[in-house]
Amino acid sequence: MHMKKKYWNMSCVAAVVLSLVTFTPLVIPQGVSKPMLGGIPYSLWTSFIITVALVVLTFIGTRVHPGMEEEEEDKS
Amino acid sequence: MIFWVWVFGLIYAGLLVMASLKSYKKGRSAEEFMMAGSNVGLSLGVLTFAAALFSTFTFLGMPDFFRVNGVGAWIFLAVSDGAMVFFLLWFGYQIRMKVKGMEFRGVSGLIGRCYGNKWAGYVFFLAAFLFLIPYVGIQIQGIAIFMEAAFPGSLPSWGWSLGIVLIMLIYAEIGGLKAIIFSDAIQGLLLLVVIWIIGWACLSHFGGIAPMFERVGNIQEELLSTPGPQGLLTPQFLFASLIAILMIPVTQPQFTTRIVVMKSMKTMQLMAVSLGAFAILVILPTIFIGMYGVDMYQEYGRDEFFANAFLYDQPNFVAALAIIGLIAAGLSTTNAQIFALGSELRGLLKGNENSIMTKTKIGIFVFSVIAFFFSIIVIDQLVLLARVSFAGTGIMGPMILLGILSNRKISSAIIYLSFVGLVIFLLSLADIIPDMYFGIRLDLLLFLVLGVIAIISHLTGKEHQLIREDDVKH
Repeated sequence: MHMKKKYWNMSCVAAVVLSLVTFTPLVIPQGVSKPMLGGIPYSLWTSFIITVALVVLTFIGTRVHPGMEEEEEDKS
Repeated sequence: MIFWVWVFGLIYAGLLVMASLKSYKKGRSAEEFMMAGSNVGLSLGVLTFAAALFSTFTFLGMPDFFRVNGVGAWIFLAVSDGAMVFFLLWFGYQIRMKVKGMEFRGVSGLIGRCYGNKWAGYVFFLAAFLFLIPYVGIQIQGIAIFMEAAFPGSLPSWGWSLGIVLIMLIYAEIGGLKAIIFSDAIQGLLLLVVIWIIGWACLSHFGGIAPMFERVGNIQEELLSTPGPQGLLTPQFLFASLIAILMIPVTQPQFTTRIVVMKSMKTMQLMAVSLGAFAILVILPTIFIGMYGVDMYQEYGRDEFFANAFLYDQPNFVAALAIIGLIAAGLSTTNAQIFALGSELRGLLKGNENSIMTKTKIGIFVFSVIAFFFSIIVIDQLVLLARVSFAGTGIMGPMILLGILSNRKISSAIIYLSFVGLVIFLLSLADIIPDMYFGIRLDLLLFLVLGVIAIISHLTGKEHQLIREDDVKH
């Protein structure tokens, strides 16, 4: 339970950091479309990776969310 | 094309009839009618949430948004949705724990109980009404424009709008929330299939992703970066949009209801993950359609772009599928929104259950009529109006989160300040006051100020709060 809470907190921090990084010049340098990846403009491929990472974090969140255990305890 | 419209139209209508018959039960309780028995499984849950979220706004609005503002539109919606599904995981748990053991009668009812003050419910209902109705209206209008392009001269635009509103009313009346959820499932799948067929055709036009962006860059290089040719997608605009979209599960009642009616916590959590994957899958092809629009119809208006890209440039059966897909997309979302307003109204009413249900049904009818009139008069970009809708209801976010999360006796000040925030936002929309202060957008400023007030209210709150029906002041 304790470890789950720790992993859950880590997932939350990662989600917040990823979301905030998106609005910095690291992902959206104004008026810059290079370097491209496979012909895809910079801001698009970086933000695509962030979107996928957020969904993966959500999946991890379902595994480590401490609330799941609480619900199981409630049932028993 | 007419032949294929009939074929797909009949299949769709047949599925709707089946869904409403399956949902219809004589002598069903108000809880079954309004909350689908609070027993929605994973597949239905994902599709109903996705269908309520991705509507005409995604189907037509996002390709147009990519066409006009370029690749930054991905951050506007997809990154925000990615963050929203993670937030959904956290908020879904909180609200489900809060409503455990009590009957959920919409956010207005819940928030009134949390604060022990009926004005909290009224203020939220007012925000939901003011910002959902125009959004419903513009979606109905989107379908009407599309239908007019598909069948020129057969019916005036308002005739199509009226037809859509009537179908929506009859359907909701027969089947209740369960029928809406079934129709959402049909629409969710249809939307995914149709958007990919059209998106793939648009991508094939360029011969691949790299040639597509190369061509677009040659036409207008600003489309390949932010803030885009119109200068709209600034970091501040995108960040304020993220907050508005994050607040969707909290402040747009059709989504909050769907979180609560999921069968279990586990199902709700898996729904959040699946929704994130669904979002990526649905938004991706809208880039291809938007870039196709840049190449072929950059100088054209919105309506001409829709008609050409979705109808005239497609094989007949794809164009017919697009028409039915769009009707399904608009119908299920508007249905969900109008029905959610009905649920919110029900949460505010007191008295005999039969009389409450009658008033709720009358309310749904009145909301539909108002939305119909809006569909005739409102003129705006789909995506921007949707964003205003998310931001407008989002202003209520701090108040709702505070009510749900805090276990202390909280001051009612946040209720009245949220109302003031709502009025200020409305004044800025009407251009009576500016929408920027100290270089910060007003919506972002309101989120921040109300957020800080919510935190202070919690920290200064004293006793533990007991939530009982009788606590609500009358």
